[in-house]
Amino acid sequence: MEELAAGVREVLAELGTDLAEVRLTSIPGGASRETWLIEGDAGRWVLRRDPKGSVSLVPMADEYALISRAAEVGTPVPQPLAFEPDGGRFGSPGLLMAHVDGTSVAPRILRKQEYEAARAGLTEQLGEALASIHSIDLGTLNGVLPEAGTDPALDQIAEWERQLDEIGEPLPAVELGLRWLRANAPDPAEPRLVHGDFRLGNFIVDERGLAAVIDWELAHLGDPAEDIGWLCIRSWRFGNDDQPVAGVGRLDEFASAYEAAGGAAVDRERVRYWEAFGNLKWAVICARQANDHLTGVRRSHELASLGRRVCEPEWDLLELMR
Amino acid sequence: MQDRPTAAELLDSVAEYLFAELRPEVPREQRFKVLVAANVCAVVAREIRAGDEPDREDLALFRELLGREVEDPRAAAAELSERIRSGELDDRIDELAPRLEEHVRRKLEIARPGYSEGGD
Repeated sequence: MEELAAGVREVLAELGTDLAEVRLTSIPGGASRETWLIEGDAGRWVLRRDPKGSVSLVPMADEYALISRAAEVGTPVPQPLAFEPDGGRFGSPGLLMAHVDGTSVAPRILRKQEYEAARAGLTEQLGEALASIHSIDLGTLNGVLPEAGTDPALDQIAEWERQLDEIGEPLPAVELGLRWLRANAPDPAEPRLVHGDFRLGNFIVDERGLAAVIDWELAHLGDPAEDIGWLCIRSWRFGNDDQPVAGVGRLDEFASAYEAAGGAAVDRERVRYWEAFGNLKWAVICARQANDHLTGVRRSHELASLGRRVCEPEWDLLELMR
Repeated sequence: MQDRPTAAELLDSVAEYLFAELRPEVPREQRFKVLVAANVCAVVAREIRAGDEPDREDLALFRELLGREVEDPRAAAAELSERIRSGELDDRIDELAPRLEEHVRRKLEIARPGYSEGGD
């Protein structure tokens, strides 16, 4: 960690900030990345980097490129400051960003008095933010992400089926969901940049509302409605089951803001399909996280407990198939 | 035979301690981890109290859906999973979905009671 601190100091000095000392604290965030809070006498920053030797879906360098593009089109994101490749001054590939004040902790956002005003405007701000992400001209990404296949839904089904197979856990309800999703895939959408994890928990919110969209490690090219369906799954309502959009708003309200900000007309049936898919994806992620504990990749009772949460999205998936 | 408290009662006591006593005492960023630990104890206590009834019901369901005798619910779930994946049951998806809801409901009754009654 001292090595990392030295690297961070050197990079910050190049950016014009000389720090007598820096304090690094590991903070939870993201399934496969390390996140460090950096504190010095002159301010705070955040470093995201790949754990040593890990393979992630979206390489850190690509996440840097995506956040930079998103910042340019006006998506609220932490300002990216510096990227270091593998073997660079952050050790593994890492991105240094400005610190964004606020919280990403869902129960706090949904229940604390201090976020009351933020909640009132959040649905609309999420619509605008997602429209900006989906407005990004794919030509300007310079091949950062793998090209979309001919059918974004079938591509995603194949991806998460593959991830399920890596675990080997027998989940007949998930299997049935996969067959249903194959049979009911909507007409292929014109591919857009899909954030892939656009949901409460990955939004930094301050007293005024949405301050930043974080955790771009599941980004890919695909059907933009995928992000809307994922946003709405019951798990991301954190107990506010009657408020589909992040536990704070209605889909109509979200859709109006999204469309007014330049997003394509929101097709409710398509969103429902992607909500079903989102539940499938969350079920597989839960099983994967538990498997990471069981195989010793990362021992943690939090990850272990997710194995017993697979049944929640399984239930919602089966209900959405009706 | 072991003395009381029973295994489930012991877990209840640990869950109560974690939730009511320890959780307010730890730093804010640790509270969620303590809550998860308390919840894990509660899940295991429910599983112990439920006994082997849920497994027997699942086994009966899987036997019916597979149309043959199987002895182990996990092996049966794996076989059913393979058959669904192969596509051979594709024309029965609408019929299988509510049957698999029975299986998922039995998991929820242990892991998250009440979940199957909520939502929209």
